[in-house]
Amino acid sequence: MKRKVLSLLLAGSMVLSMAACGTSGDGGQTGVGVPDATTPVSQDTYTGTGEEIEGGNSAELVDGRFAETRHITVEVYDRGNDGGTDPTNNMYTDYIKAGMLADHNVEVEFVAVPRWTEVDEINNLLAAGTAPDICLTYSYATIQTYADMGGVLDLQNIVVDYKNDIPNLWNWLGTTNMYWDKSVTDGTLWAIEGKRANNNRIVTFVRQDWLDALGLQAPTTRQEFYDMLVAFRDNAGTLLGADADKMVPFSCSVDVGWRAALLIESMIDPNITDKEFYVNGFDDRKLTQNGTREAMRILNQWYNEGLMWDEFALHDGDTAEDDMMKAGYVGAFMHNWDYPFRGGEDSIQANLARLVGPDAKFVAVDCFEASNGEYIKYCDSTAGDRKIFFPSTNDEPLASLLYLDWISDPEHIQYLQIGDEGVTHNVLPDGAIEIIPATGAPIMNSGQNIDLTITCNGLHLMDDNLTDLSLSHNYASCDPADVAQANAVANSGKKPTKNAKITTIEAETGMGEALNAKRNQIYDICLSCSVEEFDQKWDELMADYLAAGGQAIIDERTQAWEALYGDKEWLD
Amino acid sequence: MAKTEDNKNSGGNFAFEKPERAKPAKQPVSVYIKRYWQLYLLLALPIAYFVVFKYSPMYYILIAFKKYSIVQTVAEMPWAKNHGFEYFIKAFQNKDFLYALRNTIVLNLLDIIVGFPVPIIFALLLNELRFKFFKKSVQTIAYMPHFLSWVIIYGIALQLFTPSSGLVNMVIQRMGFPAVKFLEDGANWVKTYIGLGIWQSFGWNSIIYLAAISGISPELYEAASVDGAGRFQKMWHITLPGIRSTIVVLLILALGNVLGSNFDRPFALQNNLVMQQAEVLSTFVYKYGIKSLQFSLTTAVGLFQSIVNVIFLVLANWFSRNMGERGIL
Repeated sequence: MKRKVLSLLLAGSMVLSMAACGTSGDGGQTGVGVPDATTPVSQDTYTGTGEEIEGGNSAELVDGRFAETRHITVEVYDRGNDGGTDPTNNMYTDYIKAGMLADHNVEVEFVAVPRWTEVDEINNLLAAGTAPDICLTYSYATIQTYADMGGVLDLQNIVVDYKNDIPNLWNWLGTTNMYWDKSVTDGTLWAIEGKRANNNRIVTFVRQDWLDALGLQAPTTRQEFYDMLVAFRDNAGTLLGADADKMVPFSCSVDVGWRAALLIESMIDPNITDKEFYVNGFDDRKLTQNGTREAMRILNQWYNEGLMWDEFALHDGDTAEDDMMKAGYVGAFMHNWDYPFRGGEDSIQANLARLVGPDAKFVAVDCFEASNGEYIKYCDSTAGDRKIFFPSTNDEPLASLLYLDWISDPEHIQYLQIGDEGVTHNVLPDGAIEIIPATGAPIMNSGQNIDLTITCNGLHLMDDNLTDLSLSHNYASCDPADVAQANAVANSGKKPTKNAKITTIEAETGMGEALNAKRNQIYDICLSCSVEEFDQKWDELMADYLAAGGQAIIDERTQAWEALYGDKEWLD
Repeated sequence: MAKTEDNKNSGGNFAFEKPERAKPAKQPVSVYIKRYWQLYLLLALPIAYFVVFKYSPMYYILIAFKKYSIVQTVAEMPWAKNHGFEYFIKAFQNKDFLYALRNTIVLNLLDIIVGFPVPIIFALLLNELRFKFFKKSVQTIAYMPHFLSWVIIYGIALQLFTPSSGLVNMVIQRMGFPAVKFLEDGANWVKTYIGLGIWQSFGWNSIIYLAAISGISPELYEAASVDGAGRFQKMWHITLPGIRSTIVVLLILALGNVLGSNFDRPFALQNNLVMQQAEVLSTFVYKYGIKSLQFSLTTAVGLFQSIVNVIFLVLANWFSRNMGERGIL
């Protein structure tokens, strides 16, 4: 009897819950599925591909201002750094909020998204229908996936219809970045590419004081680099004394494709055609490019000779490697061109000087020559940085565009990047801006407030000459000469990516993370396996990678290229 | 209240044949509920919990058979190809899924084979201790790791097991042996994984056996002593049979989870070099579903996982009943 009552109750509650689901589902529909509300005012469709675009302006605005106050939400990265301020509410966000309210009568609210899990987080927000009106991510694949589901607003019409209302945005990004992601087939534009004021990529750093101590010259070829590593290893006792067993001549993380990129890329055939480069370009770590296997063979050899860090695989996402660099155990590494200078007082360079001695420092070297003897740096174009998109839940597209315009105003960029004189920067006698470390309220949560200047990455002052002059003074607690040298190395032999104008590759949808994870496994296993095992491991793992979706992408990219360019091998 | 009538009728028929048990059945359910309504009220909250968090999400199982879209409700989403089974087919064509399936089964079976007896043995040993304070201390220390998160356990493992700076490897190297790659070699990783799992949970899992042991009548032990039984004989003939039904129930539950996998343990412990052994279904679902947005595929995987688990549960239960135990269903 008791049992029957219980089962009755349970059955009843189940029926109820089903009904509840039905209603909540319907409720969700009104919340999420309202793309109609975001249709632009004008129905004129933009079809041309010319450079000069005739734009319109909105009838809603009077002197750039809405009659009634509008409200938008904007994504901002939360880096959770020590001593930082609330990313959604600080001195600089107040500056933006006040400016937007004064200039456009738009209220801005910031939504924090953790920087290091941004893709996961933005996925969750989008799936829940609570994404900010202005979203940004580094992952175009994420945007494409959501666009395919109807979750992203098509910008192709509004950026033209409101062109005269957003002059700063058009001036700063130009058609290149505005239309970088525009589909050549149907004209859709899901995202606008933020611009790199500086597209420097990776540089090799070595310990200058170690070179001096051993009487070595800075390496200029791969062989010399190798000889230097061997010298570091063999003289660990001289260089590190009691800590000799902690020596890591050449340090690399689980992200081998990035942290050994210059070596890997130097093995690419320098005469590679645009077509081949594009077809294999889906992996930004160059896994399937034509020189990677041989590059990995070299690294594998170095690893087995004890020249590299043997615990790299166990430290995914922690600071162990940076700590080794700061403590002075690392002889050489490759990373972002300004990596050792980042972080002011807590930068690698500043830590080295403090913990090891005033002479201890990393300097940039250029030593990975391609087969034609050139030092090629494959780099991004001005696009390829953060992509800005409006989810379909955005019902203030004009106010959102005005925000992008406001944030692209050179004056606003400059203030956000350098802050107030005497607080976050000094003006040097030659006019250069020197960044000084700040604490308390004026602290910037990201270098140059890059998280707030979402359309601009890299120092961009109102005067271009001043920008160049100031760049090397831009890293607090670091020697400007070292920064200038790294900048020079990063800039030499640049080869920017060309835009093949093919936006959708079906085979790539939803595969990004899975393939990236696989690629890192291949790199890591092939770096650390024994020399004898290398070929077998590489073949086996590559076959698995290609079967898991890599080959499908390569095939589809080849077809897409041939459909668009025929048998042309080079882009104009 | 049609059901109530039903109950009454069947109860009535039943009562007709066996009048001595008829009394409670004759009362209508409404009276029953009225009398004990406080108790049913107490039940309301747990039921609400199950409805909200366990039953209503089941509706979204439909996603496994549909083409997922972020802007549509489940009802609006179009059905997947192949009569809705597109994603199940895709999963079984996916090599990573098959790896994850294999690893899940292997790791869970190893956990059961190696790990299941440990808390039983520990409970038996602990039961033999006569010095109360020592017994309590050992017990407390043994179940402390249960409260550590796997991220912290991984941190401890790093300190102990890394090849050049780990404590264990330093000792091994000082003794003149080469360093052991506890975490970077597939086979060793599996051993470390199982070992850490046992270390973390054996103390906690032994609690239920200790409780069962304390329920055994002391008279049995006294009688055995009179008959001249030694410690081992008592353990073998009294304690173990006394907790047999507990063991069987826990074994059924463990077998019911053979395709299930918790997330934190493999996720915290895995690294790129051992992924071929360490990727399990839960981390696969995380990677493909949450990180790559393939919700239909991963819902299909999750559903498959649940169904296999239920099959295992039912089979194990049936088996134990046939062996003369009570079972749990």
